[in-house]
Amino acid sequence: MTGPSALLEIAGVSVRDDGRTLLDDVSLTLAPGTVHVLIGPNGAGKSTLAACILGLRHFSGDITLHLRGNGRIGFVPQSFEADRTLPVTVAELLAASRQRRPVCLGIARPVRARIAELLARVGLAGFEARRLGALSGGELRRVLIANALDPAPELLLCDEPASGLDPEAVLQLDGLIKDAARAGTAVLMVSHDLAEVRRVADQVTWLDRSVRMTGAPDAVLAAHSGAAA
Amino acid sequence: MNTFSGWLADLSHAGLLPHAFQYPFVARGLVAILILAPLLGGLSHLVVARRLAFFSTAIGQAALTGLTIGLLLGEPLNAAYGGITGFCLALALLMVFVKRRSQLPPDTLIGVFMALTLGLGICLLVAVTKRFNIHQIEAIMFGSLLTVTDTDLVLLGLAAAGIGAALALRYNGLLVDSLSPPLARAQGGDPAVSEYLFVLLLTAAITVSLKVIGALLVEALVVVPAAAARNLARSTRGYLGWSVVVALIAGLGGLVVSTEWRVPTGGAIVLALAALFFVTLAIGALRGRAA
Repeated sequence: MTGPSALLEIAGVSVRDDGRTLLDDVSLTLAPGTVHVLIGPNGAGKSTLAACILGLRHFSGDITLHLRGNGRIGFVPQSFEADRTLPVTVAELLAASRQRRPVCLGIARPVRARIAELLARVGLAGFEARRLGALSGGELRRVLIANALDPAPELLLCDEPASGLDPEAVLQLDGLIKDAARAGTAVLMVSHDLAEVRRVADQVTWLDRSVRMTGAPDAVLAAHSGAAA
Repeated sequence: MNTFSGWLADLSHAGLLPHAFQYPFVARGLVAILILAPLLGGLSHLVVARRLAFFSTAIGQAALTGLTIGLLLGEPLNAAYGGITGFCLALALLMVFVKRRSQLPPDTLIGVFMALTLGLGICLLVAVTKRFNIHQIEAIMFGSLLTVTDTDLVLLGLAAAGIGAALALRYNGLLVDSLSPPLARAQGGDPAVSEYLFVLLLTAAITVSLKVIGALLVEALVVVPAAAARNLARSTRGYLGWSVVVALIAGLGGLVVSTEWRVPTGGAIVLALAALFFVTLAIGALRGRAA
């Protein structure tokens, strides 16, 4: 699929760093309303590809985004390397992209209400005043998921979003991702959890620096498992 | 300014303020601190969040080199703004430019630039001291209320208003970028723009503060308030608020101490900051034990 129906087109993307090839001639497309999962071993270039889409890495080739609506990209990073002793609350992080007023001068009442709803959606009701540094890894990840899902993005990039989540929270996350896709969001997700891939994916790309295979989840996962055996 | 000086002198004569407040230069110092403390204290929480403490030291020390360049180009000793501001801004931009293209740790790169600018400054200082008394240059290194003029105060006020307005407009993006540049990028920010913008604002704030606090000590006012505030704050709002309060208390306390005991203003402010840091550290530790 290319052209106007694709929301994201990646064509011949290569990344080289310090003499090493991190990505080699990677091409894929992503349609609105679909969940496309990248699988592959550590060091396969999955997070590098996400960084290229966000414009955080230099690459050769083309990445084209056909954003037609609010132009919003939701992003759940693989790691959140902020200084955990900084006194930033959950509500302040979420408010920072939802109001113009500097969050250090307070959070507007409508934004507070919206944040409360968002946190309830990810099972963190009442966490507004908690400091980010006081959250567990799983709680922090859920805050980042809440941040990425609202307002409904046109493209949702999730880099191992289930990492650190308990099984119940993973199922809740799957539901949120499928809801987002049903609402028209194009989802590109990196995952090592093959059971989760089966539950949520419409398309799967097996990446190992270059694209080994793209297609329906069952076919790609079968080929991937066969290669690993 | 004369009305304000007169009012302070009246309060001093009435015994409501220390004796030194009858002098106009102390009134000017008070105004300078009432502008500087919120400016540098307010910036300090973002300086610490963005891990730019060492960068601030480098910019403060580069002012010596900027001053000597300005003097060699013919600027007056008490208003070498062009040399100081121009050199410090150029150095700040160059440090960020190289940092974004190098894989070396930022503190290593800043150390290299600091050594380079200090070496250059010391070499140029030899040429400058043939034309100026070295003690006249000390004022910019350690800060002095005696040299602050009404023009300095106007410049300081305008710079603080501009820097404050720019920060208010970009604050949320800068905060998210301090926490996670990739997240800021996804939310429509540009980490490169945020980095360049913040160092330019910080450098401008440092250079306009030099006459009062001094080049060697200005770093303290952009780092210690936030360090002290972190011991007390539980939110970004508290972090900013406590940073400004600590800077104001230290600034006013340092001013009183420097005028009463005739010690350099910069040194007195830094000692007050250090004392406040240890007080907040103790409060934070006691609060943690009680929790």
